[in-house]
Amino acid sequence: MAALHDLLMGFSVALAPGNLLYAFLGSSLGTLIGVLPGIGPAAGTALLIPLTARLDPTGAIIMLTAIFYGTQYGGTITSILLNVPGEAASAITCIDGHKMALKGRAGAALSIAAIGSFIGGLFATIALVFLAGPLTKVALEFGPVEFFALMVLGISLMMGLAGKSMVKALMMGILGLLLAMVGMDPVRGAPRFTFGRMELMDGLNFVPVIMGLFGLSDILENAEESLDSTKSAKVGSLIPSREEVKDSVGPIARGSLMGTILGLIPGMTGSMASFLSYSMEKKISKHPERFGEGAVEGVAGPETANNAHANGALIPLFTLGIPASPTVAVLMGAFLMNGLIPGPFLFKENPQLVWGVIASFFIGNVILLILNLPLIGVWVKMLKIPYSILFAVILAFMVIGAYGVENSVFDVFIMLLFGVLGYVFKKFDFPMAPMILTLILGPTMERSLRRSLEMSQGDFSILFASPIAAGLLTASLIVLITSALRVFPGTRKKVPSGSGSDRRK
Amino acid sequence: MGILSIRKCAAILMAVYLVEVAASVGAQTFPAKNKAITMIVGFSAGGSSDAGARILAGGMEKVLGTKVEVLNKPGASGQLAYTMVAQAKPDGYTISLASLPGIMVSIMDPDRKAAYKKDDFQPIALQVVDAGVIAVKADSPYRTIKDLLDDAKARPKKITMSTTGLQTGDHFSILQLQQLTGTQFAIVHFDGAGTAMTALLGKKINAYVGNVGDVLSQLKSGDIRVLGVMDTEESPFLPGVKTFEAQGINLLGGSWRGYIAPAGTPKEIVDKLSAAIKTALETEEVKRAMDKLGLQIRYMDTEDYTKLWDSYEMMVKELIPLSKQ
Repeated sequence: MAALHDLLMGFSVALAPGNLLYAFLGSSLGTLIGVLPGIGPAAGTALLIPLTARLDPTGAIIMLTAIFYGTQYGGTITSILLNVPGEAASAITCIDGHKMALKGRAGAALSIAAIGSFIGGLFATIALVFLAGPLTKVALEFGPVEFFALMVLGISLMMGLAGKSMVKALMMGILGLLLAMVGMDPVRGAPRFTFGRMELMDGLNFVPVIMGLFGLSDILENAEESLDSTKSAKVGSLIPSREEVKDSVGPIARGSLMGTILGLIPGMTGSMASFLSYSMEKKISKHPERFGEGAVEGVAGPETANNAHANGALIPLFTLGIPASPTVAVLMGAFLMNGLIPGPFLFKENPQLVWGVIASFFIGNVILLILNLPLIGVWVKMLKIPYSILFAVILAFMVIGAYGVENSVFDVFIMLLFGVLGYVFKKFDFPMAPMILTLILGPTMERSLRRSLEMSQGDFSILFASPIAAGLLTASLIVLITSALRVFPGTRKKVPSGSGSDRRK
Repeated sequence: MGILSIRKCAAILMAVYLVEVAASVGAQTFPAKNKAITMIVGFSAGGSSDAGARILAGGMEKVLGTKVEVLNKPGASGQLAYTMVAQAKPDGYTISLASLPGIMVSIMDPDRKAAYKKDDFQPIALQVVDAGVIAVKADSPYRTIKDLLDDAKARPKKITMSTTGLQTGDHFSILQLQQLTGTQFAIVHFDGAGTAMTALLGKKINAYVGNVGDVLSQLKSGDIRVLGVMDTEESPFLPGVKTFEAQGINLLGGSWRGYIAPAGTPKEIVDKLSAAIKTALETEEVKRAMDKLGLQIRYMDTEDYTKLWDSYEMMVKELIPLSKQ
C-alpha cells in the first residue's frame, strides 16, 4: 500500500497550520465565487491567482484547487434559494431544488446538496489516489468517435425529460440544438445565425442564457403577484427527513461514479455531468412524475456529479499533464507559474507537493462541509426577504453577473431576452430541461461527429468501428425504445391508450 | 475674395504652431502620471496569452511609472478586442495584445466580417514567440519528419493530423507544410490543446500540431516525440529538438504575440511604448516569470514587427482559400 503511505505523508504536509489555513481560505473564497452569479470557477480562479503569488508553491496550489472545488458548493445555494444558478454546473439544480425551497424544504435541499458534494468529492479523490493509472487508460479510449456516441446517449435521455407533452419536449430539444449551432461553423469557418454580430461568433454564452431562463423568468412570473409576499412562508426543518435521505442514497452513489468518470475525459464539463445525472435519475426513477415538482433525487444526483467531476477532472492533470476542462487549464497555468510542470513525473520529483495537495482535497472537502452546513440556517433567511427588495437585489446581481462573464453588455441583453423567452415558455407550459440539455450537449455532439468524419475523410462506418461507441449507440437505441413505449403505451397491449402522464394520474 | 491680413496669417501660423507644440508636449509627457494605460487582451483570463500579457503589464508599469491595466475581452478569437482597439482614441492609452496569424486571419477572411483593416492598426512591438511543433506518440513508427512525410506521400489524406482549432496558427502551419512538401493530410480540428493531446495519447490521431508550451509535460514524461520546431532557432524549452529549417523544410509557425495601438498614434508615443516593452522584457523578474510559463521572449521593434505583419499578410492571403476546403 505505497499509495496509502504516500497519502499519509501528504496529510502531514496538508495539516501544517499554514496549509490548513490556505485550504480554509480557498474553500471560503470558492464558496463565495460560486454564490456570485456569472463569475464562474474558471474566471474566479484566474482572478485570484495573483493573490497566491507570494505563497510557497504547495500553499498556492492548495489554495487555488480549494477555490476550484469550493465553487461547486457555492453555486448550489442561489440555485436552490433564488432560482438563479450561481454557475453553469448548478443550473439543473434550479428545477427541483427551487421547488423544494418553495415547499419549505430549502434547508433539506441545501444539506443534501452539501453532503452529496462532499461524498462526490471524496469518491473522486479516493479514485485519484488508488486508481489513477487504470482510470487514465479509460479516458484515453475516448476519442472523437466515442465522444459522439456518448453525446447521442445523453441526448436520447431528452425524451425522459418531457413533462405532460412529448411534442413540446421535442420542440424544445430541437430549439436547443438550433441555439447550439449559433456561431462559427467548426469545420468550414462560416458564421451561422450570428446576424452579423461578432459577439455571437463563439456561440451563445451559456451562463447569461440560463440566468435569464431560470432567474429572470421566475422574477417576471412572481411579479404578477403582490410584491409584499416572500418566496416561502415557512422555512421548515433544516435537516433532511428520513425519507429524503433514503431517496438520496442511490442518486449520490450513481452521481459519484458518473461524475468521476466524466471528469476523467478531457472535454467533458461539469454542467454536462450534472445534466446527464439529472436526466439519468429521471429516466431510471420509479416516479419520474415527481421530477420538476421538488424531487430530492433531482438535487442529490447532479450536485454530487458536478463535484465528483470537479475533483475527477484533476486526475488527468496529474497523470497526463492534460487540463480536462477550462478551469483546470487555469489551474495548470498556476502550476506553471510556480515552476511546476504537471504530469506523472511530478509524483517522483515533488512528492511532498503532489501528495500534500491531494491530501488537501480531503481536508478541503471536510472544511466545505463544516462551513456549509451551519450556514444553511443563514442562507434560508433570504427566503424571508420581501419580493420588493429581493427582486431588485437579484436583478442587479444578475446584470452584473451576465456582464462579468466576458465584460460584455451584449450578454446582459442575452440574459434579458432569454428571461422573456423563459417567461413565455412557462406560461405555455414548455419544459426547459430538454432545451438546456441539447444546448449543452449539442456543440460537443456536432464537433465530435465532424471530427470523426474528418478522421475518416467522410466515411460514416468509423462511427461503428469502435466497440465503446457501438455499445453507447446501442444503449441510446434502448433508451429511445423504452422511452417511446412509455409515451405511446397504445403500442403495448393491456394498457389503455392516452398520454403517459394521464396514465400516471 | 479678400486678401488675408498679416494679422490673420500670423494668427493661423500661431494656431498651427500651438497645435504642433501641444501634440509634441502630449507625446513628451506620455504617459501622464495618474492616467492608466489599458491593455486589451482578447483571450480569457488564465490562458497562456493572458498570463504573458499580465507579466509584461507588470514590467511596463515599473518602466513607465503609471498603471497598465489588463482588460480581458475574450470572444471570436480576439476579434472583439481588435475591434475595440481599432476604434479607440489614438493617444497611446489604449493598446492591445495581437496574436499572429490570428489577427491577420480575421482581417483577410471575408466570412469574419471584421470592422477593421490592416491599416487601422499601428504595430508597436513583438513580445513572445510560442513556436509551433509537430509531435507523435513515443511508440509511433515515425522517427523523423521525413518518415511522416514519406508515409503521407504514399497514402495521401490517410494520415490524421490535429489542430487546436480551425484557422489557428496550427491549421495554417499544416497548410504550409502541405504546400511546401506536396503532401496531403487528413486535418482534424479539435478545440484546444487538451482534447487534441488526449486524442494523440489515445492513438486516435497520427500526429499533433500545437505550440511548444502545450507539449512540455508529455515530452517530459516520455509519452511523445517532437519531430521539429517551426522556428529559425531551437527552442530553449525543447533541448535537442531540431528546427524544421535544419531538416530542410522552411516551415515557420506558431503564435507570435505582440502589441498594437490604433492607427494614428503619434510616433513618439509608439516609440516610447516599444522602448518600455523592450526594457521590461530585459528585467530579471519578467524573464524568470516568462521562462516558467514556457514563453519564449523575442523582442522586435516597431519596424521589424511591421515587416512581420506584412509577411503574414502575404502568407494568410494565400492560405485562406485552402483553409476552407
